[in-house]
Parts: sequence; structure tokens; C-alpha cells
Amino acid sequence: MAVDITLLFRASVKTVKTRNKVLGVAVGGGVDGSRDELFRRSPRPKGDFSSRAREVISHIGKLKDFLLEHRKDYINAYSHIMSEYGRMTDTERDQIDQDAQIFMRTCSEAIQQLRAEAHKEIHSQQVKEHRTAVLDFIEDYLKRVCKLYSEQRAIRVKRVVDKKRLSKLEPEPSPKARECASSEKVSETPSKDSEEKPAPEEYPEKTVAKARPELGAVGDSRGEDELSPEEIQMFEQENQRLIGEMNSLFDEVRQIEGKVVEISRLQEIFTEKVLQQEAEIDSIHQLVVGATENIKEGNEDIREAIKNNAGFRVWILFFLVMCSFSLLFLDWYDS
Amino acid sequence: MVGGKMAATASIRERQTVALKRMLNFNVPHVKNSTGEPVWKVLIYDRFGQDIISPLLSVKELRDMGITLHLLLHSDRDPIPDVPAVYFVMPSEENIDRMCQDLRNQLYESYYLNFISAISRSKLEDIANAALAASAVTQVAKVFDQYLNFITLEDDMFVLCNQNKELVSYRAINRPDITDTEMETVMDTIVDSLFCFFVTLGAVPIIRCSKGTAAEMVAVKLDKKLRENLRDARNSLFTGDTLGAGQFSFQRPLLVLVDRNIDLATPLHHTWTYQALVHDVLDFHLNRVNLEESSGVENCPAGARPKRKNKKSYDLTPVDKFWRKHKGSPFPEVAESVQQELEDYRAQEDEVKRLKSIMGLEGEDEGAISMLSDNTAKLTSAVSSLPELLEKKRLIDLHTNVATAVLEHIKARKLDVYFEYEEKIMSKTTLDKSLLDIISDPDAGTPEDKMRLFLIYYISTQQAPSEADLEQYKKALTDAGCNLNPLQYIKQWNLLSRVMNTGSQFVMEGVKNLVLKQQNLPVTRILDNLMEMKSNPETDDYRYFDPKMLRGNDSSIPRNKNPFQEAIVFVVGGGNYIEYQNLVDYIKGKQGKHILYGCSELFNATQFMRQLSQLGQK
Repeated sequence: MAVDITLLFRASVKTVKTRNKVLGVAVGGGVDGSRDELFRRSPRPKGDFSSRAREVISHIGKLKDFLLEHRKDYINAYSHIMSEYGRMTDTERDQIDQDAQIFMRTCSEAIQQLRAEAHKEIHSQQVKEHRTAVLDFIEDYLKRVCKLYSEQRAIRVKRVVDKKRLSKLEPEPSPKARECASSEKVSETPSKDSEEKPAPEEYPEKTVAKARPELGAVGDSRGEDELSPEEIQMFEQENQRLIGEMNSLFDEVRQIEGKVVEISRLQEIFTEKVLQQEAEIDSIHQLVVGATENIKEGNEDIREAIKNNAGFRVWILFFLVMCSFSLLFLDWYDS
Repeated sequence: MVGGKMAATASIRERQTVALKRMLNFNVPHVKNSTGEPVWKVLIYDRFGQDIISPLLSVKELRDMGITLHLLLHSDRDPIPDVPAVYFVMPSEENIDRMCQDLRNQLYESYYLNFISAISRSKLEDIANAALAASAVTQVAKVFDQYLNFITLEDDMFVLCNQNKELVSYRAINRPDITDTEMETVMDTIVDSLFCFFVTLGAVPIIRCSKGTAAEMVAVKLDKKLRENLRDARNSLFTGDTLGAGQFSFQRPLLVLVDRNIDLATPLHHTWTYQALVHDVLDFHLNRVNLEESSGVENCPAGARPKRKNKKSYDLTPVDKFWRKHKGSPFPEVAESVQQELEDYRAQEDEVKRLKSIMGLEGEDEGAISMLSDNTAKLTSAVSSLPELLEKKRLIDLHTNVATAVLEHIKARKLDVYFEYEEKIMSKTTLDKSLLDIISDPDAGTPEDKMRLFLIYYISTQQAPSEADLEQYKKALTDAGCNLNPLQYIKQWNLLSRVMNTGSQFVMEGVKNLVLKQQNLPVTRILDNLMEMKSNPETDDYRYFDPKMLRGNDSSIPRNKNPFQEAIVFVVGGGNYIEYQNLVDYIKGKQGKHILYGCSELFNATQFMRQLSQLGQK
């Protein structure tokens, strides 16, 4: 196990100080030293890179706190048993979503900006590497916080979809709702554990209930209107049908919304992968370009070599012919 | 008892990793926090620190801990303002000087100094001096002694050091011309590392060692050091919550210190298990194997540039599931398992591809919304399982390459023949082929292999072969091109200390030789005797040390009559994977017992032969 010798170190510092004082060695210590230290700290390049990085981190931290604070209310909203203060309407939830998205966008833009500026004036390789790594950390942090947000949202959408699916388990509201409308009205409030579930059923019930008094009213004022009971029934049926169609459209739209959220999540994953591959493809491209250049140069070299070879041969031939001519000449000269 | 036991046997690898992570987290215990703010820091280490960290933490894990840069102490480093720096170095003169220089140059914002082994007071004052001179005393935030001066390679195996191997090698200890002071330094280095090891383990062992060897010197010094530390109640390292587990378990571990000289045959042995083969045949170092792949074996026309061989290096860590399962299996089993894994992987790949085709079909069918939802779920699960598949593929590739390389060596040198023959020699069964035949066989193995075989034969025979035979062998060996220096040394060693007991022991071994070829090496046997408190002429006169006893006498009467549950075997002078594997196999049969294996250096047969020949030359 590790032993903390910081105190020992401080003690040695004191010992050294007293020893130096005794020996009268000028250390630049004492009063001057502390002043020096303060003096030295201020003109040091405060590194506005790191201060801005820290700013971005604190922003993201604020976003995280904001999301976490309202998370409980966001998710808990469907619980039947709850206090008045915690409730959140859908509009508030949408507001939160929007705000969070704007915030995330600004944060990621700030990171991009930092990234562009980070490499400007610095010449040292190590500092560059360090800054790239720091920016990677910050991006990672932002991604984690965004995950919080998307989890929340996914839970919300999933709940809505599930509710729609549950409500679809009852057959088309028209024939049944008319019969059990009264019984449902009575039993609706205390026994359901999700608020919105009664909502779609309330809707047909309400229209049915409206239709009934209408029916009753029409029945009473039979003589005034020219509507015959058959026509009324027909109208009623048409009403039911239209209501049913609207409902099913509504449900489908909700479902599709849920699917789209899932698909967008998958797309996120895919884009991540594609971006990763982009870097690799770039490097492959570079290599291929380099390879084609090398091959071109190689071809040139080969062509030159062939030429040299040919030229060389010509010279050899010439030399031999000259030699043979000179031999003939000498021979002729001698004889 | 069980709970305490479980905590006490957390592997040494985990303990060291936890200690390192805590150090990297500014010496505060590390808690995983998924939405924590990022903190960044720079890690500076020297070569010792590098060797300690590299088998335990990968670069990715360092990144996860917030380390943006990791640099060597003695490299050129640029000032990076506003960043805390964590130092992990040995407290040697040059390191201290360089650190003082860093303080003077104001490279970083704050400094967290961690020393691998304890730093002396005077050196601490040097740093204090430099800090004062640079007015940087407040920047030095924390100073720690980490007591991590050993390298853990596996869950239960550790090595002392890698950088200054020469100092504590077999050769250094057994040199005839070694002076007392040099011996003292070597012993001090070994004892320091062992002390750090026990501090990290958090337990005070009972020490047993044989008489009259280097191991005895180490035991005496270690006992003294532990005793001093325990007496100093104020600063004792063994109190507090580190010893929490040890206090609950009533057992203390047993430390068996053996010297390499009791068994010189095992390091030269040709082996057949995967890990030991990789160590023997390829360049395997600190859990990293370096392969040379030759790209293409065609004849190059004269004048063309020779084809370059790619060097590839792989890390074989305990995280690798295949390695963990198969590192002790015989090689043919390994080959089969690789095939098996490859087929499993192909099946999973086909599954994913089938899913892709299903998706392609269903996408055009508009009415099937519910089916689509199933498919999105399937797709999500496929996408999330993709990283696992890729990882599996990478491991399979890795092991295929390594196994192929090993196989090539085996085929070229006919190592299987050597292995069988040596097994027979060491177990005293009759030999069907004469030794001379194998030595004069021109295409079976390198000269080194033949030398190894002969040395094993020479060491293991009960009576020395006659002069005429010896001459014959020598001639055959020189014809095959071997260097005879190791033989010289072995002869001297024989004359000095012929362990007569091994003769009788080997007779017993002949009886125990089961069909499974489960053979216990001398080290394993000694451990068995000591752990189970068996009475045996070989180990009865081993010395006994207990640092916790108040009186400092070293009686040879062990006070503890119960068998030990935990043991640590340490070989002074060098060890190898064959012994490690043998110990692991031995302990597998016993429930609830744990063994840790350590050595002052890890060498394979080639390196050991080199040392022997250097010794023989003198």
C-alpha cells in the first residue's frame, strides 16, 4: 500500500530553509521568494485554451444538472398517485426537449471552434497531442450527457406507444363503447393507473354520449326535423366510422413516431461507424495515390533503363565495326 | 472465514492495478463515475515505471483515466501549462536530477510525485531544495512511496525487474569472481522488490529456504527488513485496512525461497504447452510477442531489393479469453481450439448476414409494421453485437498467426522429438534411441537444441558418464557445431554441489509417472512437501523464519503444524514458464489453495544457455 510522505516532504522543505538561512545561502527564498512566486504566476500565459475548455465543461455540467433535475418529473408524469407540484404537461416536456437540443448544439459548436483554434499557434507536438486528447474528453462528456437526454426521450415515446398499443387491444370503440360507455364512465377514474389510457376511450364515449342525447333530443323533436330514424342511424354509423378512422390514423402516426425515434438512434450508431471508417478510407486513399506515383516513377526508370541498354548496344556495335574496319585497314596497309 | 479468504486471495495483478489506478487518480481511491466531468493529466514515467505499467494497463485504459500524454522521464518534454503531472519513477540519482530540472523549468502546473520504492531522506531533501530554488513548493501537491517495485505478468506470476536484469541474473549471482559488496547490492535489490511485493499483498509470510544458498541470504535479509518494519508501530506498512483481509484469515502465506541451482534441467527443457512454447521459440517479452512475417518466399531476381519482412507485435494479456483458457494446454489442443473458434465465428457472421438479407426483403413490404419492429430490435441487437464479433475476429487472427509461427519452428527443428526424448530422460524410462543418434542427426534441430538435450542428459544421469563416452559425445557435439562452454560450467557445478538427494527422489518419481505424463518438477515437489507439512529428507533441514515472532531466533522447528492454504514460490536466479505451468497444474487438483510464482528474472533456454556459456568461459 502506498505511503503518503507529503508531510515528510514539507518537513524537509522547512529543514532545508532553515539550513540555508543558517548557512546564509541566497536562495531567493524568504519574503522575496513568495513575492517572486506570485509575480511569476501572473504573466505566465494563462492558457486561454484550457480556460475555455473548462468553460465548455461547466456549460455541459449545467446542462447535465438541468436534465437530471427535471428527470424525475419528466418520467414520473404518468404516475397516478402524485402531488400537484410535480406534474408536467406535454408542452413543458417539449420545451425541455427543445432547450436541451439548442444547448447541445451550441456546446458542440463551441467544441468545434476550440478544435480549429487549438492548433493555430502551437508548434510543439506534445502540446498538440495533449489538446486533441482534451477535446476528445470533452466531446465524450457531451455525448454521455446527450445520452441521458435521448434515454429520457425514448422512455417517453415508448410509453406513449405502449399505451396506444394497449388501447388498441379493445376492439373498435363504436359498437362496444356505446354499450359499456356508462359502465366505463363509472369505473374509469379510480381503477386505471395511467391517465391517458382513458383519454382515447373518453373521446368515443363523449361523442357517443353526445350522440345519445342528440338521439334522444331528435327522438323528442321528432316532428320538427325531417330526419327519419334510419337516416339518423346511418349518420350515427358514419360518425362512428369516421371516428374509428381518425383514431386509427392517430395511432399509426404515434407508432411511426416511435419507430422513427428508434431508427434515428440506429442511424446515429451508423453515422458513428461511417465517420470512423472515413478516416481509414482517407489513409487508404493516400496510400493508393502514393502507390500510383511510385509506379509511374518506376515506369519512367524502366524506360530509361531500356534506352540506356539500347544506346549501350549501339555503341558496342559501333566499336566492334570500327575495330574490324581498322583491322582490315591495317591488313590492307601492310600487304 | 470464507469472506476473509476470498478477499485475501484477490490476485496480485488486481491489487497492483488498483494501486496504479488510485495513483493515477491523484491518490484518491478510484470510483467509476459515468457522468463525471473529465479531468486531464499527464503521466511521466521512467523505464522501470513503463515496465510495471505496460502489462497491466493498456493505452485505452490510461485514456479512460484521463491521461492525455504519457512520456518518458528522460525525453525532451515541452512545457504544458495548466496541467497536473503524475510522476512514477524510481528514486535514483539521475531521475531526481531530472525532476529537479523539471521543477526549475516550470513545465507543468502541479506535480504528484510517486516513487516506485521508498525514497531516502537525503534525496527528498534534494527535491525540497530544488523546489525552494524554483519557488515551486506549493506546486508539489503530493509525494508518495508506492512500493510497487515488481512486474506482474499474470494473475499469479510476477518478475522482479526487466531493466537491470543483468544485475540480478543467474550469472551475476553464481559468478566465481563476485565480491562481497557486489553480492550485497544484488541481494538488496532482490529483497527490496520482495518487500514491495509483500506490502502490496498486505500479508506477512512465513519464510522457508534451503541452507547454504543465495536463497538463504535473501531470506535472512527479508526477514530482517520485515521485522524492522513491524516493530516500528508508527509507520508499519502492515497495519490498517490493508491487512483487513489478512486479519480475518487465520492463515498466513508461506514463502518458499529456492535457488536456481537445485534444478538446472528445467530451464533447458523443450516444452509442449502453448505459453511456454511461445516464450521458448518466439520473441516473447512482458506479455508482448514480436513476430516477423516474411511476405512471400519467391526467389527475387538478383539486383532487386530484398523483400522486407513485416514485424508485428501482439499483446497476450489475461483479458484475452482464448489465451487465458489455452495458455497451459498442449499445442495440438491449441490448434484444434483455434479451428473451433474460427467456425463459431463464421456461424455468427452468417447469422448477421442472413439478418441483412431479411431486412432487405422486408423493407419493401409496407404493411408489415409489426414485423418491422421485430426487425429493428434484431438489427439493434446485431449492431450492438458487432463490436464483440470484431474483437473475436481479431483474437482469432492473432492466435492463428502466433500458432502458425510456432508450428513453423516446431517443424523446422523437430521439437516434438526433443520433447519426448527429454521427458523420457527426466523420468528415467528406457530410451529407445541412443543419444548419439539424435545428436549426429543433421536435420533435427539447431546446435543449441542438441546442446540442451545433452546437458539435460548429463544433469539427470545418476552417475557421470565415463570418460570415453564423454569424449564421444563431445566430438559429436562439436561436429554439430555446438559451443561447449556450458558443459564446462555444468561440470564445475556438479563437482561443487552434486545434489545427491535428487538421485533417490527420481526413483520415486519413476513410480509416480502416470499415463498423463503428469510429472512434478523438483520445485513443485519441494513446495508440496512444505505446504502439506510432509516430512521429507530433502526439505526437513530447511530454515524457518517468522518475522512476526518476538524473539529473533531462527529455529528450524516450524511452530505451525497445519498445512498452508496460500504459498508463494520465489526462485532466486531465474525462472521460466515451464515451472509456472507445472505449479498451476499441481494446484488445480487441490481445492481452495493458491500459489503465486515469482522469479528474479525470466529467461528462456537460449538466454540461459548464453549465461551458462559465459560462466563456463571463465
